[in-house]
Amino acid sequence: MSAPSRSKGGLPLFQPIRDGWNALVARLEKTQLLGRSLLWYITGWRLGIIALILAVIYPQMFDDSYVLAGCIIAIYVLLALGLNIVVGYAGLLDLGYVAFFVIGNYTYAALSRGYLVNSAKQVVPVPVLSFWWLLPLGALFAGIAGVLLGAPTLRLRGDYLAIVTLGFGELSRIFVLNVPYFGAANGLNAPPAPTVHTPLGDVDFGNFIDHTNFYYLTLALVVIVTLLVNLLRNSSLGRAWVAMREDETAAAAAGVNLVRTKLLAFATGAAIGGIGGILNVALVPSITPDQFTFNISISILVMIVLGGIGSIPGVIVGAIVLKLFDQILLNNLNDYVHGSPLVSNPGAPLHFLAGNDFNQEKFLLYGLVLLGMILLRPQGIIPDRRRQREIKEASSVESASAVGVLAIEESGDTLAGLGSAPDVTEYVGPGSDAQGREG
Amino acid sequence: MHILAASSFDTGLFFQQIENGITLGAIYALVALGYTMVYGIIELINFAHGDVFMWSTIVTLSVAQALHIDHVLGGFALVGTLLLLLIVGILTSGGLNVLIERVAYRPLRRAPRLIPLISAIGVSFILENVAQLWKTANVIAYPVFFPTNAITIGSLTITYLDIFIFVLAVALMVGLNVFTNRTKMGRAMRATAQDPEAAALMGVNINQTISLTFLIGGALAGAAGVVYSMYASSVYFLSGFQLGLIAFTAAVLGGIGNIQGAVLGGFLIGIIEALATQYVPNGLAWSQGVAFAILILILIFRPSGLLGQQVPDKV
Repeated sequence: MSAPSRSKGGLPLFQPIRDGWNALVARLEKTQLLGRSLLWYITGWRLGIIALILAVIYPQMFDDSYVLAGCIIAIYVLLALGLNIVVGYAGLLDLGYVAFFVIGNYTYAALSRGYLVNSAKQVVPVPVLSFWWLLPLGALFAGIAGVLLGAPTLRLRGDYLAIVTLGFGELSRIFVLNVPYFGAANGLNAPPAPTVHTPLGDVDFGNFIDHTNFYYLTLALVVIVTLLVNLLRNSSLGRAWVAMREDETAAAAAGVNLVRTKLLAFATGAAIGGIGGILNVALVPSITPDQFTFNISISILVMIVLGGIGSIPGVIVGAIVLKLFDQILLNNLNDYVHGSPLVSNPGAPLHFLAGNDFNQEKFLLYGLVLLGMILLRPQGIIPDRRRQREIKEASSVESASAVGVLAIEESGDTLAGLGSAPDVTEYVGPGSDAQGREG
Repeated sequence: MHILAASSFDTGLFFQQIENGITLGAIYALVALGYTMVYGIIELINFAHGDVFMWSTIVTLSVAQALHIDHVLGGFALVGTLLLLLIVGILTSGGLNVLIERVAYRPLRRAPRLIPLISAIGVSFILENVAQLWKTANVIAYPVFFPTNAITIGSLTITYLDIFIFVLAVALMVGLNVFTNRTKMGRAMRATAQDPEAAALMGVNINQTISLTFLIGGALAGAAGVVYSMYASSVYFLSGFQLGLIAFTAAVLGGIGNIQGAVLGGFLIGIIEALATQYVPNGLAWSQGVAFAILILILIFRPSGLLGQQVPDKV
């Protein structure tokens, strides 16, 4: 039986971490600097500025392997922003987002090298387009695919949509695996990103020893896409997405064109995925179908849920945290463990680990971190305000009765809690055209 | 082979593929039942379910290795081994599923639906990688101890193993049907699936009922794991991922939350895959794609699956 003081639904194991976090936030709130609390400086748009400054100086501070990891992280930030439109805003659970990533990758690979090989191993000439043309073209192709996926699935709800999108993602991989033009299991090689001649000198984006230029290119795209997504979110289309997510029938009754709104969500999300794909193959100029598994769709979904679904800063932070964890910590796990004085010194307490290869454990760690983070902070790292309210609304029913779902079977107290639902009208976003769900 | 099939239609080959499909479909159906029952009761796609199935295969492999089974058995030895493996497999998967529910899903039961999905994915990673640490990343041969004899009807060959798998699956399904429809606990399960709060007010112990659902779902996957490793004669730490995906597809095809639907979906997907392997050019590579394509087509015309209810919209 849970005590009233305990956080809702949490495991007691995490209580010290929760308490520590709350104490830190309280301290930040109390400490004043120039008439503002420290917390003020690291929330809202100010966090964005700080993050951008850090992102700009990042390549100057680390060696190239870290810059390369930064490029990959930036690509995943793009993908997470794109999927967030479909899942976070429009509420359409998409488990096959990798399909649009595949389309971006293969668009660039197929149209940048001048030839493809058919099943009879004959070389077929193909027009060559430059990276700068392929960037919008990849977005266009992926966007069209998004509409093609969306159109037949308009009537599907929730998990039925999830399985169809999952099937679409798997089909895209099976397709490129079995079509000889796309190199089948061997995949395709593609030229790296190009060199741009400017009056100030040549800027080489395809340098494999120094990825700094490519990093800034992806960062610029991340900034542009973030600003665009933010604009979209606050436009009438963005509000229609949210209204549709909250209640499809009510949204339709209020004049939201569901077909158009859904298709635009799929198309926009897909287009961003396509851009991510183009950048990916320009960065790692060889692709094979086995790179595009269901795991990619899942890892992007995990990023947005862990970051805070529907919240732009949350999604960005989620992508950065998980990809940092994956690209830097897990990929260098052996070095870190074996380099630690606790392990490397003979006679040190953890010396028995010195001979172990930790590469096998990395996905186990990934799973443990995933499980721990979601149990610790189910609303995400930086939750969306509207979404957070929904979670509160759902749990206020149980916290009002102070005992949670466990109590239902033993007492009728929950009925008293149902009446209160306190903060339903606390926050209604600017111009939001959907009422919150009834409590 | 497919070129041959295209030029003259071979009825024997066609029925042989149907027979293969039914055997495979029986395994899919058993796993699909676990997905559909869990979904029916707490509306969660239990992503770890495929890996729960896989754990039955690796634990029973260890048991078979410990018993030094390396030849075809007969009589009591065979029956005893089968019973032992089935009990071990069922206990492993059933227990594991209950544990997962307790640790990863129950604390998040009130959270929005996507959130337990993520903890399910985390659990899936953990199960796969602990299995990999234990059994390495290699495909491991599973000892052949079941008689390899077969019945031949015309050109159709039905192995004893196929018959055993089919009979076992049907027996478990009938048992499940009797349990859910005729027993008190089964009624509690159906009540909880329909409306947990009303069921709680009627005196149903919700947590216990949900645990029971996970136990039964896991147990069915465990039984499927035992026969699958005999059927495939190999064990692999990622086998649950692929098979789980197909079984989930089957559950959705039949109408998720619907027990008969999962059985129907399982057999259909099995048969479709087997036929696609035979009749689609380069079929082996495309067979899974064909299953997904057919699923998408069916859902376009029946958006709630074959046996799923069309629920009217509530405002």
